[in-house]
Amino acid sequence: MTAPTKGALAPPPGTGPDAERAPGRLAELLASPGVRLVGKRVLLAVPILLGVSVLTFWVLNLIPGNAAQQLLGPEATPEQVRALEQQLGLDQPGYARYLGWLGAAVTGDLGTSLVSGQPVTGQISERLAVSGELVGLAFLVSLGLAVPVALLAAYRPGRMFDRVSMLVSITGLSVANYVLALLLVLLFAVELALFPAIGFVPVAEGLGANLHSMALPVAAIAFPLFCFYTRFLRGDLVDQLHGEDYITTARAKGIGPWQVLLRHAFRNSSFGLITVVGLNLGTLIGGTVIVEQIFALPGIGQLMLQAVNTRDFVVVQACVLVFAIVAVLANLLADLLYAVLDPRIRYGGR
Amino acid sequence: MRRLRLRYPVALVAALIGVAACGGGGGGAAPGASPAGPPQRGGELTVLEDVAFAGGWPTGLDPATSTTGGANISQMSAIYGGLFRLAADEDGANARVEPHQAEGFELLDEGATVRIKIRDGIEFSDGTAMDAEAVAFNFTRDVTSTCTCAPRWPLAENGITVLDPLTVELRFTRPYAALINSFPVSNVNWIVSPTALQQQGPDQFKITPVGAGPFTVVSNQLSSELVLTRNPTYFKADRPYLDGLTFQSIGGDQPAYQALLAGQAQAYEGLSTTPLLEAAQQQGRLSVTVQPPTSPYVIQLNTKTGPFADPRAREAVYAATDFDAIAQGLFRGLYPVSQTFTGPGGLFHQEKVEGYPAHDPARAKQLVGELGGLTVNLGTLRSYVAQQVMTALQTQWQEAGITVTTETYELSTLVQQFNSDQWDSMLQTAGAWDPASGVGVAFRFRSDSPFSGVADPKLDQLLDDAAATVDQAERARLYTEAGEYISDNAYAPFGLAFAAANLAAEGVHGPGLTTKIPPIVVNAGILWDEVWRAAPQ
Amino acid sequence: MVIDSAVAVETRPVGGRAGAWWLRNLEVAVPAGVVALVVLACFVGPLVLPIPPPVGGSVLESYLEAGSPGHLLGTDPNGNDILSRVLHGGRASLTVAVAVNLLGLVVGGTLGALSGHLGGITDTVIMRLLDVLIAFPSLVLTLAVAQSLGASQTNTVLALAFFSIPAFARISRAATLRLRELPFMAAAQLCGTPGWRVLTRHVAPNIAPQLITFGMLGMGITIVIEGALSFLGLGIPLPAPSWGNMISQGQQSLSATPMLVVWPCLALFVTVLAFNLLGETLRARWSGR
Repeated sequence: MTAPTKGALAPPPGTGPDAERAPGRLAELLASPGVRLVGKRVLLAVPILLGVSVLTFWVLNLIPGNAAQQLLGPEATPEQVRALEQQLGLDQPGYARYLGWLGAAVTGDLGTSLVSGQPVTGQISERLAVSGELVGLAFLVSLGLAVPVALLAAYRPGRMFDRVSMLVSITGLSVANYVLALLLVLLFAVELALFPAIGFVPVAEGLGANLHSMALPVAAIAFPLFCFYTRFLRGDLVDQLHGEDYITTARAKGIGPWQVLLRHAFRNSSFGLITVVGLNLGTLIGGTVIVEQIFALPGIGQLMLQAVNTRDFVVVQACVLVFAIVAVLANLLADLLYAVLDPRIRYGGR
Repeated sequence: MRRLRLRYPVALVAALIGVAACGGGGGGAAPGASPAGPPQRGGELTVLEDVAFAGGWPTGLDPATSTTGGANISQMSAIYGGLFRLAADEDGANARVEPHQAEGFELLDEGATVRIKIRDGIEFSDGTAMDAEAVAFNFTRDVTSTCTCAPRWPLAENGITVLDPLTVELRFTRPYAALINSFPVSNVNWIVSPTALQQQGPDQFKITPVGAGPFTVVSNQLSSELVLTRNPTYFKADRPYLDGLTFQSIGGDQPAYQALLAGQAQAYEGLSTTPLLEAAQQQGRLSVTVQPPTSPYVIQLNTKTGPFADPRAREAVYAATDFDAIAQGLFRGLYPVSQTFTGPGGLFHQEKVEGYPAHDPARAKQLVGELGGLTVNLGTLRSYVAQQVMTALQTQWQEAGITVTTETYELSTLVQQFNSDQWDSMLQTAGAWDPASGVGVAFRFRSDSPFSGVADPKLDQLLDDAAATVDQAERARLYTEAGEYISDNAYAPFGLAFAAANLAAEGVHGPGLTTKIPPIVVNAGILWDEVWRAAPQ
Repeated sequence: MVIDSAVAVETRPVGGRAGAWWLRNLEVAVPAGVVALVVLACFVGPLVLPIPPPVGGSVLESYLEAGSPGHLLGTDPNGNDILSRVLHGGRASLTVAVAVNLLGLVVGGTLGALSGHLGGITDTVIMRLLDVLIAFPSLVLTLAVAQSLGASQTNTVLALAFFSIPAFARISRAATLRLRELPFMAAAQLCGTPGWRVLTRHVAPNIAPQLITFGMLGMGITIVIEGALSFLGLGIPLPAPSWGNMISQGQQSLSATPMLVVWPCLALFVTVLAFNLLGETLRARWSGR
């Protein structure tokens, strides 16, 4: 991986005889490889989203088990069940239902809960803030801690900090997150009474209280991910530092070790990190289901688990779709970030 | 240096073990509650409910449409109050159904006609009057609801009438003496404000219901959190004591216990895990109230089709089952074993049934041999404790040579199994404080109930007669006869009469919460307007 | 490189140096040893040691303490021996993990190699399809599916394997692409070697190390995820033990009976740690650094 030579590929922006020809500059911008790449990636996300919706709908509707029966409760007669099935449109062929559902979903209507009769979109948007905050904080905390720890570890590989942090991280990876959650509660909430064991305090009631109530759930999700990212990044950094020619060049030029680490090795390692973060978004989001259950957080994971248990497949479908959309969009962001950071891509070289 | 690598994880794990072990015995605060002095006004309370049962209200809180009303009696009684409720002395004795929002009732025509007098001056929290018209409106609505939770009353034509502004009359086609005893767990007990219902429409009403109970709804997130605040126009002066009451769903006994210890909530209803019960009792920071048991476990056998249509197979199961061992091993002998559908805390309890087939492994093996082998499936609801009992039963039956496959169900799939008659045996609970009410005996033993494994007209007659007659002694006699009949025909072995425990933090007091009230069905009916909390010291 | 040095050791005279290989390669030997020990204990242990069966315990022997006669680690609420359940649970968890990762490796690896080798439209289509899967939060969908199709070992394996395919495919594809740059691949093609032969004789053995190391790391992850499924009641069904369902059961009375959780957690932790260390070390070795 050699450092790119800028001048060779495209005329530097801002120069040349086009101060008057602003439209020309816009066209230039639009034609620039970076924007084209962004556009391509965004367009590609659309079939992926469609594929995700098909997969969701298809899998969930293969499910045996009678939603109408569940809705009517224990004492329903078969005739009542059939009538409700007709009313809910459950007797239509699969593709018709899929298209109907998709059409509605695109306009923001995710259906009506079979069990409570409430519009699903409303239920989800109520809970979006909670899950969103949980996922967002976990993401920030895990990455925010992983990067400095990995940098410090890679700075002096083989020394005490490196060994300890690698040990802690491999330990953390090997502990299941639900057990971690339970132990956190035992230690911090019950024994030390430092944090609440359950419940969610909305931001409206005070940011401090809100963060306080989210501390343990975020820790339960973030810690294993932090371990994973730290190990990965540290490994990649060490590989870079020890193997790559350009590092040797940089050192030979007299650049200090921190500079080498931050400006060069880290920049290159960040690609791998971004990819890995993207790949793990599914895990991050999936982790909310169990953690919300343990900590009684009113988020989408909790909603989904309830819906799974009550066979409310309309809600399950909607939740899975929301999770998947978030994951796809986040992956897209990671892809774009990757593209932005890699100058070779930005300038069209490959 | 390399060896060091392994020591760290071991040290960390040892620390984790240490923490976990500490969790069990921690908390050395002074045992016992603060002296239960005169009740204090004020304060807020958060109550935890198990999401698998009382903490789930996916269909909302409108009594006419809620399929989980029987499980959510706490929430319902907090919002609606209730026409009748079950009260008892502090030790659980002398349990009786008392009129609450009703002022009294009269049974006429041997119980074929019931007149309910409403207390004067009660208003719903929206200011409209709760009078006989409102009550009759509710009854009619409940009975004609398409919800499967609609009460099955044997009503005569136009059986619900308003006699005067405070009296409602119900006429039945046959005597229904057990009606009043059934009220506290039935949806008809909760009276909604017709005005509010009309204003909001049923879909919104089930989210933000309006009743005449001690609390009004502030916010309601289905099966997650219900926030209530004191109702200033509650008909009892100076009640409720609490300013605010919040119901919160929790994943189970363990997280609830932890939450209580961490001070996040002040009460938990329905603790059923024995080791936690013991830990809570030993630990002393929480008050533990074990309710008098009213519903024994029963192993329903499908006598209509399948392997258990043969009485010898059923007798084999009776002989192979040893509930005494289960009561001892799993429940540390805390609960008595029943031989019929009543428990010590309920009405008409009978400890022993004459001629009940005893545990006899040799006889079981012999019967199985006679049958040439026996293969059955055994199911139960997904609950930690029920699964443990089911596993123990499987082991016992297998020792007698019976091949057993086990299965756990959610409520919906359980319903399907019953409806399709594909089940062989089901571990459930049967009985209620009054055997004629709620998920009582008829639910599990009548020939026209889809959840029954028995289709025997003689048993139907016995149960009907017992529900109909007003004479308590006659009822007791009939239920005794029914219990013997079930045992003679080996229809369903009974097990231990189990009742969940309620936990409360220090300083919290209330009937049903820190005193005993026999659960009508599963959870004790806590009288929320009488619950109070001492100000934290 | 590793192969070379192993061969080099074996040709040395026996006296005094024979046992040196594992001493000099502790970071491979120790985790590999632990893995081997765990596998042996779980698969062979119950056959050789006098341990009672994992199910069918008498309920009168429930909740016995560790060190009770006949029960080294005590008993669970149903009277079953905990040590026996841990070992048999290990069998179940390991079997699931091996099956999942093997399936994922074979299917995903082949898919990725094909995709990378063939390139063009095939590559794009396969990768886009896999992108859909990767984007999916797998636990979420597995829950929904397991809920209705029923919890069983087979269903668990299939569901988890399904979601592990994209990761293996990506690794395999990336490795295949990198391989294409090497001269010997061009040589093979110039010789006129048919495609499938190139794949089996040249591509496969060279991408195998990376896939295998990823598989090692995947073992740990799979064991933990299977536990998560069991935690929610949708993994290996009771009363058959798996570490996951033992933890999920035990944690329901964690405050009162922590040891019910600690033993399977320890077993889980040690095994996953060993796999992770082994995977990491192999990765470091085989990527030539």
